[in-house]
Amino acid sequence: MPKNYLLATLAALMLVLNACGKKDETRTVPAPAPAPAQIPAPASAGVTVQSIAVGSAIGVDKKVTRATDSFGSKDTIYATVDTTGSGTATLRAKWTYRKNGQETLVKEDKQTIAPTGPASNEFHVSKPDGWPAGDYQVEIFVGDKSAGTKNYTVK
Amino acid sequence: MSQDTPDFSNVESGSSSTATKVYEVVAGDSLSKIAKREYGNAGEWKRIYEANRDTLKDPDKIYPGQKLNIPPR
Repeated sequence: MPKNYLLATLAALMLVLNACGKKDETRTVPAPAPAPAQIPAPASAGVTVQSIAVGSAIGVDKKVTRATDSFGSKDTIYATVDTTGSGTATLRAKWTYRKNGQETLVKEDKQTIAPTGPASNEFHVSKPDGWPAGDYQVEIFVGDKSAGTKNYTVK
Repeated sequence: MSQDTPDFSNVESGSSSTATKVYEVVAGDSLSKIAKREYGNAGEWKRIYEANRDTLKDPDKIYPGQKLNIPPR
């Protein structure tokens, strides 16, 4: 066998052996990193009503101190609204007189609040010449959404 | 007016909160008038002024539609 041919064969063989023993150095495309977890929206985005109460007196904390659903004709009637959450919200109180299935608007009042946490709010109505005896209701809204009602009577 | 439809036109009302209120100025308002309505005391207009110093440069210059923060009483 000619020497050159032998050298060429050996070189080819070494190349093949080298290739076979070589570690696979190609990089696998990394799996896409999991998308960052979405920051959950606050459970109660905005202001929500927690409770409504009616009474004939409130304290400086805007909470009813004399709870009742039965009033005298000269009473000031308070509706307190406890809220949670933060943001800006318009609370509205719709006071109505109800007789024989008919509803008469007594008064509507609203206040826009910007709480940073739990807040106590109040609405009140009075009638200098006295309330007619009968059945009444106050409905509280947050924006345009009803948050609850309270019924009361005037004796 | 009939007995069935009582007159509620003279009903007086009000509201308050432990939170800051947002009040929209209407024509004819002044800080004193707002303070009288919100706090029952016109002299407390400075509280409203102080709470809105970032937008109020002059306590005598407020305009309809302007929104003012009213600190709780």
